[in-house]
Amino acid sequence: MSWTILLDNEAVQALADPSHRKHRRALGYAQVVISRKARADPVNVAVPAAVRVEAGWDRTAPAWAFVNRLRIADIPLDRTHANTAAAISSRTGVSVADAHLGAAIANADADAARVTVVTSDPRDMRIVAEGKHVEVVAL
Amino acid sequence: MDGYAAIDRINELLDSTDPETVNTSMRLPGTLRDAAALAVSELDLAPSTTVLTANALRAMLEAAVMQAVLDRHYEEYPESRPTLADLAVAAAELDGHPLAGQPEFLRQSAAEVARRHPGAAPEDVLLWAEARASATA
Repeated sequence: MSWTILLDNEAVQALADPSHRKHRRALGYAQVVISRKARADPVNVAVPAAVRVEAGWDRTAPAWAFVNRLRIADIPLDRTHANTAAAISSRTGVSVADAHLGAAIANADADAARVTVVTSDPRDMRIVAEGKHVEVVAL
Repeated sequence: MDGYAAIDRINELLDSTDPETVNTSMRLPGTLRDAAALAVSELDLAPSTTVLTANALRAMLEAAVMQAVLDRHYEEYPESRPTLADLAVAAAELDGHPLAGQPEFLRQSAAEVARRHPGAAPEDVLLWAEARASATA
């Protein structure tokens, strides 16, 4: 079974900024991902586009060079994700970024993939998951 | 090619969606090829030996390039390198380990393991912690 690890805004900030108080902790998660890849486990780290916007992650900006190199995939806000995210936002009143995380969780659930979210706000992630199976790691 | 140029080029190649395939002149031990063919036909490890080989190579390259990035980062920011305890806690959290909610216990276990086994892996810490927990249960 494939495994997708999603990052929220603070997880992105923690990973990118060496002065962030949770930077070393975020790198610990990256090290675990590397060890799983090294044993050929199908694991990927991804960030929804709306989370990237919220985090200010511009892939063309030199300040983001370090995280750009960590093979974190973009989840585009395409038609399907936008529809799902809009519905989640309407029902729950969460932010656009959190709604896109919810859409990414729903998409992974539909693909029967294992999904984990690294987040500073586990409660909101449970809300946007709307009962779908998701593992939440509190950063 | 400097370190980051090589890393960036490897990432670019790994991200490419170019469907072109090539026959390589790579020479593999015949026994390894036969073992792979058997694993595909008898163990359903992958749809073909080509897919098996490509997936394994991709996973290894992805791990190597990510580790190279982190190693360079640790050179610049040594304090950012996770300790064995940090890695054990991170592994427990991501894997949903029963002791994930007891980070201090895992840190104590990591210290005990590291004293005897300086090269221990996070999984060693989790195993030791689990053994300690079950012994005291």
